[in-house]
Amino acid sequence: MLDLFILIIRYISLALITLGGFASVVAAIGFYRFKNFYLRLHPLTINTIWGCVFPLTGISLLTIILEELGAYKWFMAGASFITALIVLMLAPAGSHAIARGVHKSRTARVKPCIADLLDKDLCG
Amino acid sequence: MAKPLNSMVVAVLAFSVYIVFSGSVSTYDLLTGVIVATTTGVLFSSITLQNPWKTLSPRRWYYTLRYAARYFTIDETKAHLDVIKRILHPKAPVNPAIVKVPFGVESDYAKTAIACSITNTPGTVVVEIDEVEKVFYVHWIDAKTLDPVKAREEISLVFEKYSKKIFD
Repeated sequence: MLDLFILIIRYISLALITLGGFASVVAAIGFYRFKNFYLRLHPLTINTIWGCVFPLTGISLLTIILEELGAYKWFMAGASFITALIVLMLAPAGSHAIARGVHKSRTARVKPCIADLLDKDLCG
Repeated sequence: MAKPLNSMVVAVLAFSVYIVFSGSVSTYDLLTGVIVATTTGVLFSSITLQNPWKTLSPRRWYYTLRYAARYFTIDETKAHLDVIKRILHPKAPVNPAIVKVPFGVESDYAKTAIACSITNTPGTVVVEIDEVEKVFYVHWIDAKTLDPVKAREEISLVFEKYSKKIFD
């Protein structure tokens, strides 16, 4: 029973890490394909959640069941988990700050644009 | 009475983070953890907590877990797949706008939780918050509507429902 549980945890964690690799590549492609500043913030989020928070959680789970790591497994698991939480809270704060700063300083226009209800002059 | 309790709640949270991060319950780590957590609690409780009883409510922790489970499975998956589809589509179809999204929560933590939840789902980024009008200005990659009420239903109604139960 315990072996089955460990096997399930192993596969879940490996799936999360693989998802992280895939998401990072897609986010990089998105960053290249979207030419506007505001559009590029969206692939950035993919890289934050699926590309960083999920694989860090996967590493955290994987290290708990890796006996080879000895006493260090708890440190690695704990550090990965807390790092995932910190990224989860700080990454959007960074995105808000950058987006707000760029919009306020009028550095980039919203393009393409259906509407900009914050500042109509920056639309298009 | 409220002040020491405030400090204690912050200290317990800081201590938990310290011990989980260090991954050790040795005497050295427990002792340094207590020193660091107590200092953090005393220094920062006045700016981080107003009502410590909220932190001790099991109902709020239950909704936090429910919110996390829903957010990371349903909301994040839907949003990620939508933006990934747009990125990998040959024409990279987008329909972007900065829309108004009203909110009805009171506490700063609830506003922050909603804003972070919106930004952490790909496809929506909070650009500005107007606390007087009580609206977020959100850059939406596929603006289905410009009507604030409908935009709120599409983007943030679920986040708001849970944030209200957890923080307000």
